[in-house]
Order: sequence, then C-alpha cells, then structure tokens
Amino acid sequence: MIKKIFSLLLIFTGIAVINSCTKLEEDVLDEGSVAGLTDKQQAEGVIAPVYAKLEDVFMHTTYFALQEISTDEAILPFRGGTDWGDNGIYVQLHKHENIASDVNVRNTWNHILIGISRAVTAMNALPTNTYTDSKLFLAEARGMKAYYSLLTLDLYGLIFVKEDASETSKILRGEEAIEYIKSELLAVEPLLDNTTGPGRLTKGAVQGLLARLYLNAAVYRDRYASSFTFKTEDMDKVIEYCDKIIASPQYALSADYFSMFNDNNHTNRELIFAVDQRADLGNGHNRMAYFSLSGDHFPLTAYPGANGTDGPGITPEFYRTWVNAYAPTDPAAIDPRFYKQNLVVPADSCVPKATFNIDRGILRGQQYGLIRVSGAFVNCGTNGLRVGKLHNTTRPGSTNVPVNFTEQIDFTVAGSGYSTGYRVEKYEFSKTSVSGRNFGEHDIVILRLADVYLMRAEAKLRKGGADASALADVNFVRAARTASTPPPPLANISLDLLLRERGFELYWEMVRRTDMIRFGKYEGTWTEKTSTDKQKRLFPIPSTAIDAASNIPGYLVQNPGY
Amino acid sequence: MLKLNQRFVFFRMLPVLLTFFFLLPMLIVQAQQRQITGTVKDTKGSPVASVTVIVKGSTGTTLTAEDGSFTISAKDGDVLVFSSVSFESTELKVTSASSYEVVLTANTVVLSDVVVVGYGTQRKKDVTGAVKSLKSDEFNKGIVNTPQQLLQGKVSGVNVTSSSGEPGANIGITVRGPGGVRTGSTPLFVVDGLPLDNSSTGGGDPLNFINPQDIESIDVLKDASATAIYGARGANGVIIITTKRGKAGVSTLGFTSSVGFSSIANALPVFNGDEFRVAVPQVGGTLDNKGGNTDWQDEVTRTAMTQNYNLNLSGGANKLSYFASFGIQKQEGIIKENDLDRYSGRFNVTQKFLEDRLVLEVNLGVSNTKQKRPPITSVIGDAITYNPTYPAYDANGNPAIYQNINPLLYFELDKETTTINRVTGNISPSFRIIKGLVYKLNFGIDNSTATRDVLSLPSTVPFRDGRLDNFYNWNRNTLVENYLTYAWSKAKHNVSALAGHSYQKIFVQQRNSSINRFVVGGVDPIYNPGVGQDLTLANNRPGGFAFINELQSFFGRVTYQYNNKYLFTANFRADGSSKFGDNNKYGYFPSFSFGWKISDEDFMQNSIFSNLKLRAGWGLTGNQEIPPKITQALFTSLGSASYPLYPASGNYPAGYAYTRLANPDIQWETSEQIDLGLDFGLFKGALTGTIDLFHKVSRDILLQVIPADPVQPATEVWSNVPDMTITNQGAEIELDYRHKSESSISYNIGGNITFIKNKVENSPYTLIPSGSVSGAGITSSTINGYVNGEPIGTFYLKEFIGFDNNGMSAYTDVDKNGVINDNDRLALGTALPSVIYSVYGNIGYKGFDLALNFNGVSGNKVYNYTENVSFSKLRLAKNVNSIPEAVADPKESINNPTPVTSRYLRDGAYLRLNNATLGYNFNTKKLGISNWVSAVRFSVTGQNLFVSTKYNGYDPEVNIDRSINGISSYGIDYITYPKARSVIFALNFSF
Repeated sequence: MIKKIFSLLLIFTGIAVINSCTKLEEDVLDEGSVAGLTDKQQAEGVIAPVYAKLEDVFMHTTYFALQEISTDEAILPFRGGTDWGDNGIYVQLHKHENIASDVNVRNTWNHILIGISRAVTAMNALPTNTYTDSKLFLAEARGMKAYYSLLTLDLYGLIFVKEDASETSKILRGEEAIEYIKSELLAVEPLLDNTTGPGRLTKGAVQGLLARLYLNAAVYRDRYASSFTFKTEDMDKVIEYCDKIIASPQYALSADYFSMFNDNNHTNRELIFAVDQRADLGNGHNRMAYFSLSGDHFPLTAYPGANGTDGPGITPEFYRTWVNAYAPTDPAAIDPRFYKQNLVVPADSCVPKATFNIDRGILRGQQYGLIRVSGAFVNCGTNGLRVGKLHNTTRPGSTNVPVNFTEQIDFTVAGSGYSTGYRVEKYEFSKTSVSGRNFGEHDIVILRLADVYLMRAEAKLRKGGADASALADVNFVRAARTASTPPPPLANISLDLLLRERGFELYWEMVRRTDMIRFGKYEGTWTEKTSTDKQKRLFPIPSTAIDAASNIPGYLVQNPGY
Repeated sequence: MLKLNQRFVFFRMLPVLLTFFFLLPMLIVQAQQRQITGTVKDTKGSPVASVTVIVKGSTGTTLTAEDGSFTISAKDGDVLVFSSVSFESTELKVTSASSYEVVLTANTVVLSDVVVVGYGTQRKKDVTGAVKSLKSDEFNKGIVNTPQQLLQGKVSGVNVTSSSGEPGANIGITVRGPGGVRTGSTPLFVVDGLPLDNSSTGGGDPLNFINPQDIESIDVLKDASATAIYGARGANGVIIITTKRGKAGVSTLGFTSSVGFSSIANALPVFNGDEFRVAVPQVGGTLDNKGGNTDWQDEVTRTAMTQNYNLNLSGGANKLSYFASFGIQKQEGIIKENDLDRYSGRFNVTQKFLEDRLVLEVNLGVSNTKQKRPPITSVIGDAITYNPTYPAYDANGNPAIYQNINPLLYFELDKETTTINRVTGNISPSFRIIKGLVYKLNFGIDNSTATRDVLSLPSTVPFRDGRLDNFYNWNRNTLVENYLTYAWSKAKHNVSALAGHSYQKIFVQQRNSSINRFVVGGVDPIYNPGVGQDLTLANNRPGGFAFINELQSFFGRVTYQYNNKYLFTANFRADGSSKFGDNNKYGYFPSFSFGWKISDEDFMQNSIFSNLKLRAGWGLTGNQEIPPKITQALFTSLGSASYPLYPASGNYPAGYAYTRLANPDIQWETSEQIDLGLDFGLFKGALTGTIDLFHKVSRDILLQVIPADPVQPATEVWSNVPDMTITNQGAEIELDYRHKSESSISYNIGGNITFIKNKVENSPYTLIPSGSVSGAGITSSTINGYVNGEPIGTFYLKEFIGFDNNGMSAYTDVDKNGVINDNDRLALGTALPSVIYSVYGNIGYKGFDLALNFNGVSGNKVYNYTENVSFSKLRLAKNVNSIPEAVADPKESINNPTPVTSRYLRDGAYLRLNNATLGYNFNTKKLGISNWVSAVRFSVTGQNLFVSTKYNGYDPEVNIDRSINGISSYGIDYITYPKARSVIFALNFSF
C-alpha cells in the first residue's frame, strides 16, 4: 500500500519535474537574426536598406505631396466629395494651413529619419568589414546620411547629428546644420565612385547635392527673412560643383524629354541620382504615374484592374505660365516638355494591344483610352482593343460624365469634380503594374543634368554680371531636346524667367517648394492659396515626435507658428 | 524601483509564512477528551464533505472530510451541531457510542452556494473577494455560441458586447472596465482548471468550441483579492468555467433538441425604389432609374434556421462517476451563405482509488466548428447603398450584372470557409497524503488546428482572375500544475492553505499560401489549388508566424477563519513569463482580503438580516497579454530593405534592418485594486443582495512609443509608460427576491446595476489616436482618442454645430483661429457605458414557467461610421441609396462634405429584452410514462425580442475593431452584421 502510494507520488513528481523550472528564455521561432553572413553579404546587407528607404520617402503622399501640393504646381481638391478628402490634409497642404498632427508630414519625417538611422547602422558596421567595397559603401552611407539630413533641413529646419547608434542625436539648425552637411559631403566626395549611379550615391551626385546646398544656403541660414542674401562665395561654389558635373563625360542631356521618365530610364545619361526601381524586386511603386491620372483611365492592356486615381492637377496659374510664354502658339505645339501624344484613335477605334500607349506630359480636355465594361476591356479585331472617349464609368452617379480635364481646379464644388484640372503623366505607367499602384519600374529622378545647368545659370544670375552665360545654360538645355522640335531659345533671362524655366523643365520633380521659397514666391497667391505666413516655409515637427521627446526638456523644439 | 524591491523582499518571506501555517496544527497539543467519530451522508447515501461539526456550548469544531468522516472530541451528553450551507442543520446528542452516522437533508433554498475560486472551491459565505457564481439554470437562453453570451447582463461589473449578429463572431467582454489602451483587456478564461490562451484560433471567437450545454457553472472573479491567485493574468478578471460532472448514484440520460428561426431584427430604413425616384431629383441629382423596386437588404438576408441537438449521459457508482455528451448545432446566419456548424463531445470522469485517498479526474472535450461566410462588409455595405431601382435578377433569374457589382454576386464569387478542430483535456489526480493534506496534479492540454480558405472565384463579367488564400493555424497550450492544499480546524480556528507550482506553454503558429488566376467554371480551387495559373513571389509570397509563450508560476493561498465570523484570505503568485524582459522576468502579485459576518454576531441575533457580511480586499494583479518578442531587438533580412546595388537584374542583395528595438525592461501591466463589499440577506434569505465598491488603477501601461531621439532604426519601441495610469472605479449592486410556494405561484425577480467610471491620467502624449477610418475623403481621420482626464473609448472629434448659411457643416472653432482642423477636436463622450444594468423575472405556476431577462447600458456614445461613409446628400445625388434621416435637413447643401465629426455621434443607451422563455414541464407521472421518462419539457424562447434605443443604426451594441497599432477602438459601428431576432422551440427529455 505505502509502496503503491510512493510510486504514484514518484510518477506525479516525475511529470512535474519534466516540465518545470524553465529559464523562461524566449524562443524566437519565426524570425532569423542575422548570423553567419559573409563580409560581402553583411556589407551589402547594411547599405541596401539605406537606399531602400528612398522609395518610401519618394511616395505620392509623402515627399511628393509636401514638395508639390504646397506649391502652384499641384493642387488636390476633395474630388466629387468622395476622393482624396483625407481629413482635409491636401487642402491644408495647399493652403499652407498644416498642423503638427498631419499624417503626411509625419510619415515623411518618419521615413527620412529611419533612413538616417540605417545609415548610422551601416556606418557602425562597415569599418570592420573586409569586403572590397566596404570602404565605398561606408562613404555612400555617410553621404546618404548627409542627403537625408539635407531633406530634414529643407523640410523641417533642423538636422540630427548621430555618429553612433548608442548616442542621442545632437540637433543642429541654420549655419551649423549647413556646415555639418557640407563637411560630410566633402568628406565622401573623393571616396565615391562615379560608375555606380544613378541608383547609388556617386561623386557626381554629391557634387550636385553640394551645389543644391550652396544654392539654398541663404534660405537655410535665415529661414524667415523677407529677402534672402545669397553670398557670392556660395554662388561660386554652386558654379564650381556644377562645372565639375557638366565637365564629366559621363552625363549628357537626353534628346527625348519623356524618355527620362520611361520604365527603362535607368540607363539614361541625364540621370545623376535617382531611386532605382525594379519591378522584379517588387518594392517599387508606380505612384508617380498613377497619382494624377483619371480613375477611369486604364492604361495597361494586360491589367484591367490598373488605373489612375484622379489625384492632383496643375493649378490654372501654373498652366498660364506655359500659355503666356508661348502665346499665341499652344504650348503642346511648341515645347516637347509639355505634352507627347502616343495614342491616335483610328477610324475603327480598334487599337492593337501591342501598340497601345497613353499620352504623356500635361493632359488636357477629353481623354481617350481603353473601353472597359464591367471590369473587362472590349475586344475588337485580332488582338485589338476598343478605344474611345473615356467616361467616369466607375463613379456611381457620374457614369455618363466624360473624362474631360478642365483648366479650372479649385476647392469649389465646380472645381472639385473627378475630372477637373489638367493632369501630369510625366512618368511612364509601369508596364508590369498589376494594380497601377505597385511594381514600379522607372527610376524616380532625384537629380539630373538639366537641373545642374539651371542651378549654374541661377548662381550666375544671383552673383550678377554673367547674364549672357546664364542664358546660354538655359538655352543649352532647351536646345538639347532634339528628338522632336526643341522649344525655341529664350531671348533674355531674369530670375523670374529662370523660375518659370525651372517649372517648365522640372515640373512635378519635387523641387518646386524649395524653388519657390528660394525665389521668394512661396508667400504668393494662387488658386486657393492666400496665406502669406513666412513661418509656413517650414513644416511642423510631427506632434508624435514632440510628445515623444517631452521627457527631455528643450531637446526637440517645435518650429515657430505651429 | 524602490517599491518593487520592498515588494520583493516581502514576498521572499511568504514561503516562510506558508510553512508556518502548515506546521501550526502540529504544534498545538490535543485536548484530553473522548474521540467521537462518524460519517455524514445525504439522503441518497452519498458522503458529504466540509460539514462543520461543532460541540454546542464549547469551542470544539471540525469539518468532515471528502468521505464524510469526522473526528471530534466530546463528552457524553454533549450536543453536536452539523451545519453546512447546502443542508439543513442537524443536532445529535452524544451517547455512549463512539461512532455515528448522520444524515443531512438538502437545504433547497441555497443548494448552489459553492463558488469556484482559483485552485479550489469555497462556500459562498466564506468568500472574501468579489466573486459571482452563475449556475447553468441561470444562464441566458436562446441561440448561444460562446460562454460570454451566457453571462450577458447576469453579473454586475461585467460588460459583454455581442456586437455582431454573425454566428460565432467575436464577443467582447470586460470585467470592471478596460485597464489598458491596447487590445488584450479580455479576462482570463479557465476551463476545468486549464487557463486558456486568448489568441485567435483561426476565426471567430476563441471560445466557440465550448458547448454551452456542457457548462455546469461559470464563476467570475472580479476583484484583485480574488484574481491575484492568477497573478500576471488576473488584471482583467478571471472567468472560471466548470463543465458538468456525473453524480454517484444518479443515472440520467438527457436529450434536448431545439429549432430556432431568426430574421433581421431591424433593417435600416433606406429609400425604397419609389421613394428613391423622388429623393434623388429632390437633392439635385440625375436619377439613374432602371424601374425596379428592390429591397437589397431583404435580398441579402433570409429567415435563418438553427437546429441544436444535445445528448448527455451521466451517472456513477461509488467509485466512479462520469458525464458524457454529444452536441450538434447547425446555425444559419441571417445573411445568406453564412453558416456555423458545431459538433462537440465531452467525457468527464471521476474515479476513486486506494480507499478514496486517490481521486482521479479526467476531462476531455472535443469540438469541430465549421464556418462559412460571404464577404460580409461588402454584402451589407452594398445592400444598404445600392440603387433600389435596379432589379436584383435578370430575365433568367440570375443576379443581374451592372457596372458596379450587384450585392448578390458576392454570394457566387466570394466565400470564406473556416474549419477548426479543437481538443481540450486534462487529467488531475489528487491524493490525500494525511488527513487534511491533499496533493494535486493537473496536467492539461488544449490543442486546436484551423484551416481557413478565402476564395475569390474567377469570372468573365465582372472580370476577375480569381484567387485562393489558405491559412493554417495551430494553437497548442499545455499545462502542468502541482499543488498542495491543507485544511485544519481547531476550536474557533479554521485554516486552509494552498501552495503550488505551475508551468504553462503556449504555441501559436500560422502559415498562409495563395495562388491566382483560375479558369471560369473549372474545378473548385479549394479542392485543388494547383489549378491556379499564376503564382509569383510578389503576389503569392507565403507567410506565417509562430511563437511560444512560457509562463512559470509559484502560487499560494492562506485562509483563516476565526469563530466562523472573521475571515481572512491572502493570495500570492509569482509569475514569470518568457514575454517579459530580462530585467523583469518575474512579477509578484499579492492580495489580502477580510470578511466579517456581522449577522453571526450576538447583537444581530434578532435582526431582519439572515446574512450580513462585510468584505474588504486589496490586491495587485498583472496583465501579461502583451505581444511576444517585444523585449528583443530584431535585425533581420527584410524584403522592403533590399535595393538594387548593381545594374544587373535579379539576385538583389538582401537588406538587413532593425524592425524592432530591444527593451529588456518590459514587463506586465500592473493593476492595483481595492474592493469593499457587502453581502446581505433579509427575510429569511428571500431577499438577497450584494453591494461592491471598487477602485482599480492600472500602471506600467504598455505602448509602442516613439523614442525621444527620433533617429531610430524602427520608429517605435515597446515600453511601459512611466506615470501613466488608467483608473476604473465604480459600484455594483445586485438584488434578488424569491417567493417560493409549494402549491401555487412562485416567483423570483431581481437585477443588477453597475456604475463605472474610467479615466486616463498622466499620459505623456497629447493624444493616443484609435478608430481608423478610410474611404470617402476621411482617410487619416481617427474617431477615438485617448487624452488625459478622459476615459478609454473617448470620442475625440470636431464638434458639429449645424449648418452655416451656405448649407455647409459648421464646427466649434476651439482655438478660435478661424480655421477648422484637427486642432479643433474635443473629447465628446465615451463608448464605455457609465451604467450597465439588467433586470430579470421568473414566475412559475404548476407546470408552467416564464422567464424574462432585460439588459441595458447608458451613458455611452456610439459612432455611426456607417452613416458617415454611406449616406449623404452628395452620395444620394450620385444615386447612392441613403436613409431619409441623413438627407432630411433642407438647410444642408448637396455639396456639404461629411468628414469624421460629432455629427455621427449618437447616444448608445439601450434597453433590450434579451431573452424570454415560456416553458411547460409535463407531469410524467400523470401521463403514466414516468418509469420511462422522468421529465419532459417544452419551451419557447424569444431572443432579442425588443430594443429600446435612440440609435439609428442596426443596433446600438456595436464595436467594430478599428484599432490602430493595437490601440483598441471602441463604440464604432461600421457596416456591422445586423442582429437577429429569434424564436426557438425546444423539447427536452430526461430518462
């Protein structure tokens, strides 16, 4: 009896012991931490993420929205009372009424700062790496940190200096920030390669960024000045770095303007620095091509689900700068940067699948495209698809309303229809984009040669006494677009004309806000924008970041006016 | 930190104290009197344990053992008094005999006064914590899928939100208010001693597997003095479910069957075709008229039938008792193509060995649930807005094809099927080592596997490629517990102690795969996914996750009663969890509570109170429902961190990035609770009641926070926010009056009411947003927002104040800067009710009985996000259907946009006739079948018969999950599955 009890007790205790007294160390099953990498894998593995963040920064709702919708180049009304209302953020952005809780302001901030952090991680890991390219990667990481810092300086008026992941960043503003970015870029310039672009940071890219920094230094030094003082030595530096790039045989202006924005633009020699997108990698996005296009425009014969979204259009003021420049000639007829027709509707309105291609540039008036009924394209002939006038077929209650883009676009009801505003289809609609949103193929341009010429021209003008040379730079760019008849040369040049020219050449390339501030035009009036508040030259620091830093008094101070 | 250290030192001392209590009885010298022994049995001859035996007029007292035996020292001529809650007191005069057999008759009034507390049971009158026990006959009736629904309105302080009318949908439940801002405020469920994991098992409510008819009782431990025995899982309350067991000597065979019919309780009053033809031009739209008159809500819903069959056997002999059941519930949803079928079986056995010293309990439950659902949000969202002039069917009787998908086409093109198999079982032998000292082992396992197929069929018109997604879930929860209990009583002292160790391991895994593009009319891809024609990593990358949570605990309890009047309970648990950071592996959770049975005092001898007990308790508990792995940094290869470094295509280098930062300090959320309670009974127990006051403060709130230095590899890091608190305080009152009469009408009325207030304080954040919205120009708005001084579930919105002269919405300009934006938002009420109440009544006359249950809430708001995004003049003008109310104001311009504002904030108060049952028990003796059938009962139950509310949606009891980053949303109604009104006919036989 006692024996029985004893053996039973032993069994129970045995069960108890088998399963008990664990150390409670968490066993992670579904995540592999990095171990056993070769030096090459590690080196590539820490530099790739630094660049990969660019794709998130250069989204339609982040950097694009901040740099374009806040200006006269783009406006995004609450379309049809159903689309892009987004709690008023695009209206706020255009009217310069941003607040610290704005999600787009916050998302842009977050993406850029993760980019900086990844650069710090790479800079901490690469010095001990023995892979042959690790020194180059280290220079690129440091350069990218400087580039991301240039973005935070431009958008939010401050930079974060962090050399080691374990330390707390130091915050710099104004002159100190300029000096820091300058010194970082200068430090890496001699170390960089010039053959790894445009998807990676090259010597040429850093020279271009230095030119950009010097050109805007007056703004960054005295952000709220009523007029900026451009120092001669800064302008000399702009010219010096632009000269270096222009002198490089590596870069050349593109004869075909829109080919710079095609799916295959990676090898276009005009591109100096760009976000390298590959459809087969799957990370890229087609938002640059999707954002402005009509929601009833389905540009890919292979994918009847890929459409646009009726996002922003250009303001009538911006459109008028084109019209006024070329009157009485229509800008489409005289400037190949304005418009390129790819679709000619044949008499039988049947287009072979293989040749169907949508128009590019600034789209006006009635739009034509593939006819789509109940989610499927209408076939015709052999391997043909029916094309015709587009209607707002997918918009309940507007199914018979034609997709006819109007010059008027504003925040009134009449100006906020699905089809108001002239649209921009600068980038090619990526041929593999199943949904129209994903699988971007084209590189997104950050810096290209035409901008370098125009920066040099501007520096010459601001320095004074070299107007003819500046005009030559501008006309050299115009004359280079020889794939069709290039736009006629300008007869004279001034700062106002140069800003207009930058608009013609670089519209929707995410430089407009910086340009307008530098040219003193950001407090102007256009369409729905009347604010003259200089404090809006900077975006607010997101309230989430201010909250998070509230335990360190005085560390992160909100920009004035927010 | 200092506080923690003190706590720690104190609880290191606890084992010493426990040892002391164990040794105490052995130190006391026995008195010199004759030993009287005996056995106490009930009228059926079964031994009765835990009967108090007192020597009248002296201090001698003892308790009967499991086998009914007792030993007490007494002199000849002494009178022994045998008393127990469940039995009438009996007296016995000691004669020369030294052994006695005492038979107790059951006390019919308070037969059920045993409550299940963690790791044991207590008599209700001895309980010092806030605990409510609910027996099966008190449960809600009707079509019930989960134990939470059985409880709704039954227990004060417990808020059950059955927010969807979908069979098997998740049911929300909170005990004494939410203590955190994240999801994970669900109480701990313990089924037959096995604590469940609240992780999803693959679809629907995780408790769908329990057949409600197998449940004997549900005990709700509300305050920390009761839940601290469950330590780091006790902060949100503990709900203990006990399944039925057989009784020795009673053999029963029961068969119940029911059939129920459900239909939509309240359709939205959208325009019908004729009204629509008038309304669209009226608001200035161009009518799109196809001449029909279709009620789309009627087209997508149906009268649904639910069948339930349940067979159970129970019985036993001296050493063995068993309960076995088999249940089938086939439930149709009121939306077409939506069903939930459940098959469940249970086998519970108790076997005694070794002269009853060893008792082996085995519980086994198995269930299979199969759920089929159409894309419900699309179906309902479209049905309430689709043009009612469009005929539903074409000339051939098929759903008509229009430019925008006909809601009926979803039934043909989309389906989701989830099958879950779940087995729960435990074996728990207990062994009486010496008298009063019992060792118990509990070994349990809960294993579920689920398969979910989400199928979008290919179609030519409307064009679709088709896609199949397969999800596989595995959940395995194993438990080993060893504990000792000791009971000792001497004179006026009555002591019991418990000490144990527990180890629990929870494994959760999900895998998913998918394939695209099928041939129209081909093989159903569910049966052969290989018929798919498109499979790319970009579109079909397989996914999954897996984690293991381990929990190791040491726990103990001491109860001490002096003179049966002064009660003291101390609970303690040390919980270690693999989810906690290295610097905080173990949490320590003590509680103390006191009870004073005032009614047993001499001065209360002639009072009207048959029972009056004062309770007071304090305790610390934790909430360890935090995501796994958050203490550890993750630096890993990330698809989105890859980038083409070289010109060539393909073979892109992997990118390694931090996606999570380490925080070795992460710990449980801590909750400190004080409870003051009064239990009372008047008029010989006819009127009973309870009043509780509670104050619960949650600290160490766990959030994903942004570091002060924003240059971080990941935007956020998990952290316990210092200083931030969430306080729930309130009062609970329960009252019950019973009138019992043998011959005529007997009745019982009662109710409960809870007053509760919740408040967030010392949050370092200006606003913690939740309640995400999307679509129709409101993306990036949020509905809920947590700010200091306001409760969880607060609606943080722009305040709508009417229309301006242009017919556009006007809002309060809080900062008075002339611009209305998110800076003008205000806290405008909360989704948490301030009052939760229920009223019930039962009446019996001869064979008939009628039971009514009402429940309701008030003081809460509901955000009608459905109305916000679906109905407006602007949309009506575009031929989108609407409820008349949304377009009624003639002042409103057709172009007025409808952002997220208080315009859609509604009073969420309601009173519901939750269920009403009319039953008749046939007199089997009169029918002459009593030898064969002992009882026959027929009943009709009406469920959700009426709701009184001002709310204009389907039902005010709503809570669609619109959480943001795991921050819970509350009180948002978004195209919620409409609630059903049901009538159920049931027939029960006992053999």
